Amino acid sequence: MTTAPLDKTNALETMPMGKSKLSHTAVFWIAFSVVIAVLIAAPLVLPEFWRRFLTEVLIWGLLAMSSDLLIGYTGMISFGHSAFFGLGMYGAAGALLVASPPNLWLAVLFGLAGAAGAALFVAFFSIRLRDIYFAITTLIFSQIFYVIIFTWTAVTGGENGLIFTRPHLSIPFLYDARFTTTTMHWFVLAAVTASYLILRRVTQSPFGMVLQSIRENEARTRAIGYAVERYKMVAVMLSGLFAGLAGVLYAIQNQFAAPDFVYFLTSGDTVIYNVMGGIGTLVGPIVGAGFFQLARELLSRLFGDQFPYLIPLGIVFIVMIIFLPQGLLGFARRWLNR
Amino acid sequence: MRAQPSSDLSSPALARGAASAPILKIEMLSVRFGGLAALSQVDFELERGTIHAIIGPNGAGKSTFFNCLTGVLRPTGGRIIFDGEEITGLQSNAISQKGIARSYQITNILANASALENVRIAAQSRRHGWNMIAHHGAFADINEKAERALHSVGLLAKAEELAGNLSHGEQRNLEIGIALATEPKLLCLDEPTAGMSQGETDETKELVRRIGKESTAGGTAGLSILIVEHDMQVVMELCDRISVLHYGAILAEGTPEEIQNNPKVLEVYLKT
Repeated sequence: MTTAPLDKTNALETMPMGKSKLSHTAVFWIAFSVVIAVLIAAPLVLPEFWRRFLTEVLIWGLLAMSSDLLIGYTGMISFGHSAFFGLGMYGAAGALLVASPPNLWLAVLFGLAGAAGAALFVAFFSIRLRDIYFAITTLIFSQIFYVIIFTWTAVTGGENGLIFTRPHLSIPFLYDARFTTTTMHWFVLAAVTASYLILRRVTQSPFGMVLQSIRENEARTRAIGYAVERYKMVAVMLSGLFAGLAGVLYAIQNQFAAPDFVYFLTSGDTVIYNVMGGIGTLVGPIVGAGFFQLARELLSRLFGDQFPYLIPLGIVFIVMIIFLPQGLLGFARRWLNR
Repeated sequence: MRAQPSSDLSSPALARGAASAPILKIEMLSVRFGGLAALSQVDFELERGTIHAIIGPNGAGKSTFFNCLTGVLRPTGGRIIFDGEEITGLQSNAISQKGIARSYQITNILANASALENVRIAAQSRRHGWNMIAHHGAFADINEKAERALHSVGLLAKAEELAGNLSHGEQRNLEIGIALATEPKLLCLDEPTAGMSQGETDETKELVRRIGKESTAGGTAGLSILIVEHDMQVVMELCDRISVLHYGAILAEGTPEEIQNNPKVLEVYLKT
């Protein structure tokens, strides 16, 4: 190729892209700040139940967002996220039971390590596959963890799970206090916000562009020189780490770890949150999780605890698939990713 | 062209980068699908800086040849030596990294991304591909490379256009731009004018000729181009040399004039 300077006088430089990009950035950060401000203020005005509810929505949202990296950006539908979530949960449980006094950051570390291990294991067997074969393989290999956790009663508590006490919210040398529902909410919000900002950066990075290129055309991506399998491997690991973080947060919030969460239904819920909220948007899955949880809560309040809420929710889901196939935030996909 | 004794490869004349050595040398390449021999003992050489076409009737093995060369298929026999290095059986990403790019008939990578972004993904495959922290548009070297590739295929003015909104002809050219953005030494074009109008065909012909010249003039390596094409007129006007594949074997090889006057070629190819 020539190294002569390029004549592009009437191409890129006269485009109004600099201007529109700036205002897009401004609008994005204003919207972002408003949402975060509302979420910070929420526990100060909400009653106890809804405070906890909102915190849990954020945790499920983080799990869904982590799988969006695979579903929406890399085009791999993972049914293995229950294992990543579960190992994060049990990793945190292990740290909280072993260390005394229980340490928050040790729990995070153990949880992330557990999730990374599970992600490595599942990814190793599944990344060479595509589409439904990838989905099935992640499901099968993640369920190995369910079986282990369910049957290894001596360590995992089997069916009963593990119960432990909450660590203090501690920042070394600066702050140390018991979690309240409000500080718990803020802690979760900080973790989810940081995760969103990191994942957003990742999806906009050169690496993220490679993932999207794999989603669109794997053979073509290989042909321009990318070792596709390695990129997929790292994508699964990253996704697994954030799913594990969600598991850690759930464990700390609820002070128990149970095998139910490692069961593949959790992965199914995660995929549903993604589809409802809009894949490939990162925030969509959080909105999807909120929508699903809120609908379930309202239905059981209206019709009682015994009400089979999944039936009307299933109908809502089908209607959404037909009339809103892009999900609740799908319309903003291009805007959110710019 | 006959298969040469392998000792020739170690001779100084064929050492890597020697100007006289062919950029691509294929020896006894064979591919069998079960009992069917798609390619049998094909010998082929491509001189540095030339445009070389492979023609042949349907089923002659052109696509198989192409796929072997770009790592999509693993040959069952023979050797492929590119720029003095054996690349037989490598994966397509490794072959791309060695400097062979191919354009596809199906176009572009991300229909929902701009033309520039499409080319940029290819441009960053040599550096920065693993970067997870910076924005994908933040690298001056990558942007420069991508813009130059777009410029080469005449799409710089449409850099911000969504790839999916480009016309069919423009998308085909974008496809060539994506291949060019990997800065290849050898560019393989798979029927670059298929499905194009006469006007678009002429433009693409001009484009390929320009790419060949531009790169040879500026760089020391020089871009060599391999084309698989049906359109005889395009091939005759554009190419320095032509190889004719027939039933998985090379039937003839020569300049366009030689091929046009070769009785064997006239018999099996032009009449069918």
